[in-house]
Amino acid sequence: MEKLLEIKNLKTYFYTDEGIVKAVDDVSLKINKGETMCIVGESGCGKSITAMSILRLIPNPPGRIEGGEIVFEGRDLLKLSEEEVRSIRGNEISMIFQEPMTSLNPVFTIGNQIIEAIMLHQNLSKKAAVEKAVEVLKLVGIPRADEIINAYPHELSGGMRQRVMIAMAMVCNPKLLIADEPTTALDVTIQAQILDLMRKLKEDTKTSIMLITHDLGVVAEMADYISVMYSGKIVEEAKVLELFKNPLHPYTSGLLASKPQIHIDKEKLYAIPGQVPSSFDLPKGCYFYPRCERAMDICEQCAPKLKQIHDGHYVACHLYGGEENE
Amino acid sequence: MKQYITRRLLEMIPVLIGISILIFAIFQLAPGDPVSTMVDPKASAAAKAKLREQMHLNEPMLVQYKYWATDILKGNWGESFYFKQPVKKVINSYIWNSFYLSLASFLLSAALSIPIGVLSATRQYSKFDYIFTVFALIGISMPSFFFGLLLIKWFAVDIKLFPVSGMTVPGSTATGFALFQDVMHHMTLPLVVLTLGSLAGLMRYTRSSMLEVIRQDYIRTARAKGLREKVVIYKHGLRNALIPVVTIFGMSLPGLFSGAIITEQIFNWPGIGPIGLQAVNTRDYTLLMGINMLLAALTLLGNLIADITYALVDPRIRFK
Amino acid sequence: MEIVRENRIEQKKEKILGPWQLAWIRLKRNRLAMVGLYVLIFMVSISILGPIISPYKMETIDLANISAPPSIAHPLGTDEVGRDILTRVMYAGRISLSVGIVAVFISVVIGSMIGAVSGYYSGIIDAIIMRIVDIFMCFPFLPLLLMIAAVMSDYKINPDYRIYVVMLIIGILSWPGLARIIRGQILSLREQEFIQAAEALGLRDRRKIFRHLLPNTFGSIIVSSTLGVGNAILTESVLSFLGLGVTPPTPSWGNMVNAVTDAYVFQFHPWRWMPPGICIFITVMAINLLGDGLRDAFDSKLKR
Repeated sequence: MEKLLEIKNLKTYFYTDEGIVKAVDDVSLKINKGETMCIVGESGCGKSITAMSILRLIPNPPGRIEGGEIVFEGRDLLKLSEEEVRSIRGNEISMIFQEPMTSLNPVFTIGNQIIEAIMLHQNLSKKAAVEKAVEVLKLVGIPRADEIINAYPHELSGGMRQRVMIAMAMVCNPKLLIADEPTTALDVTIQAQILDLMRKLKEDTKTSIMLITHDLGVVAEMADYISVMYSGKIVEEAKVLELFKNPLHPYTSGLLASKPQIHIDKEKLYAIPGQVPSSFDLPKGCYFYPRCERAMDICEQCAPKLKQIHDGHYVACHLYGGEENE
Repeated sequence: MKQYITRRLLEMIPVLIGISILIFAIFQLAPGDPVSTMVDPKASAAAKAKLREQMHLNEPMLVQYKYWATDILKGNWGESFYFKQPVKKVINSYIWNSFYLSLASFLLSAALSIPIGVLSATRQYSKFDYIFTVFALIGISMPSFFFGLLLIKWFAVDIKLFPVSGMTVPGSTATGFALFQDVMHHMTLPLVVLTLGSLAGLMRYTRSSMLEVIRQDYIRTARAKGLREKVVIYKHGLRNALIPVVTIFGMSLPGLFSGAIITEQIFNWPGIGPIGLQAVNTRDYTLLMGINMLLAALTLLGNLIADITYALVDPRIRFK
Repeated sequence: MEIVRENRIEQKKEKILGPWQLAWIRLKRNRLAMVGLYVLIFMVSISILGPIISPYKMETIDLANISAPPSIAHPLGTDEVGRDILTRVMYAGRISLSVGIVAVFISVVIGSMIGAVSGYYSGIIDAIIMRIVDIFMCFPFLPLLLMIAAVMSDYKINPDYRIYVVMLIIGILSWPGLARIIRGQILSLREQEFIQAAEALGLRDRRKIFRHLLPNTFGSIIVSSTLGVGNAILTESVLSFLGLGVTPPTPSWGNMVNAVTDAYVFQFHPWRWMPPGICIFITVMAINLLGDGLRDAFDSKLKR
């Protein structure tokens, strides 16, 4: 399959009062054309920061991208000028966020905000842009699109607003859609609708999706490929079926075990012991070592590297041998 | 919208009643017999008694309040004991001078504070931000009477660049542009004092409002769309940041009539300030009560205007 | 094995700083705020210690030096009866600072109690209290203050006690703003789990309000009372300048500036009125710098 985006050794650090936070620490991953890639992890593990880094939306100060490459269709996004990055944002790569309630500007109409994106990236007349906005709103399943276009965000429900966000993101036919926890803030039934919509759009437009979530249910439904992140590092990556069937990293197994299952009668839901380590006070060796049930002495001493175990299944854990991933 | 305004107007009534009770109560606290300060000390006991009767001073407090409040409502604000003129007339002949001065200062500080506030916010912790933070704090911390005195000493007494006091050259009969020029010349120093005071607050307010807004998710959305930073800040950011600022402007409208008491006094500007202070010194209570009632009503009106403008600029309110 | 693992998790407990320590650390890093703090400490200590060290008393009259310009014997000169200006400025500092502090103390006590009660009970009590606050807030502050000060001065109070009246007036007129802030915070705190836990424990209202709710608003109380002291000093100086506040012979910075009513003094004896004016400015500026820094230090959203 053809690569669309490849991140190599990305480092994004935040400089705070309490010290340096290595929010993204040497992360490499890739997204193929037409594929959905999921990044899974607990909150604060750096998955959103990775996504924001792609569009260079890290607020500076306090954040800064300190190293690595983000190659999109042969160009390193980190080396582009601000002007060039802007022509990619919302056009070739667009993004939707977790909070539909606050992600739309409350003082402008829905139409105004969509048309703004169209006029920015496409050479269309105002009238054509309005038509296009109505069309894309219909596409994301908004009823009475020609009325809603004049509505203000507060007049819509959370689910509708997220549809508007998706419409706004899809209006310029992006090659990559980054969705940062797009369903977390929504009701369960609405979640399913939004996921369906995203799947349908992906089928229709062949857009690649980078989906960020902590919800393994969403992953199972959407993903082709999964990367598991922990404390700013990728600890495991594999195709979706392989990972669910055969999780290698103790953290991944823990995540899967802590997912409630209807058919299995368990007394108590499994929980990974301990807490995500503080970003200022990371363990010397493997970051997961303090919580790991299968920890060994070596885990305390040195951090494991990401290694290929089977075909296309990578893991960063001392439990496994295998060849090192360059 | 109509409903909203009606409701707000109805809500104002109890507040206005409360204010009038408070004003009335304060003056009831004043010691001494109002009659003896009003008439010639040599007036006969009978004349005094008659006046007491006329002023309902023998009635219980509550009845007195009722008489006073009805008079105020009827527009009968009494006579100033110092000016020997109806209170309404006295206020009317001075309040507009206050208004011109305050309006000029208001416009000037609005025009300066918004751009400075926005720039300070978008360059938080920069040198620009530091300089204006300190400048704003100077403005807030400087006692206006002292600043006014310093300006008079340096620019009017020492180098004689501006007149020491007043609104026009004494005895001037100038009209038209010459009058305007004369007034502007007299207005410069008080304008500087007033503007320094209000500019500082508005600037800080715009800055913090803007800082709050640029942390919002929709600003991130606007950036993710690929908009230029200028469009992000000045279209998406400023439009939201101005919502609370507009409210502050509305609230400062009544200040246009009352905010300059001290400055007017220092520069002897013939406005409501020196008149009010004179009324304080001569214990001209009818005039004082009138001025205070008017100012309180204007404040309420200003709050209402603030609420309405708020509703006009924020679509979330409009439809509620 | 189990035990070892438990220990491992235990050891990794991070050092947690209390909100006060965190605020202090942030404040220390704010250079402007620290300048404000040092200047304020300086002004307070010369006001307290200065008059003790000074060779003159507040009312010492030096007939040989009447209206004398600054000299070695009188660093800031003397006034029209030969009193040392520097000594009087330092005495005035005691007066002005204590008026500021006491007035704010009064307004904090009233404001936080009323705000807390209003926020805690909500409903009808809240509605009534907030209407009263509205009434106070609708008054243009200065005209109301002048009016009350005028009425009060009709009582021919002994000048030595005037200062207490001034404290009381300023304190009583400035509580509504704080009450509103505290009420807002209590309203949102009440929804949080820890107070629902207190509810479940069956604690008495008084205990809930004063032990669990109010302490959580100390940050805003400290910020607004710091800034409040600055404002109270400014207000006192205006009143005293106009002759409605602290009256001579008790010196205050405001009534010392009042020397300018003599046009000759205004033009030719600037040492008589500039030093107290500058003292007001410097003190209030220092307080505002500190208050601004405190606000940033307590605002967790402003993490840098």
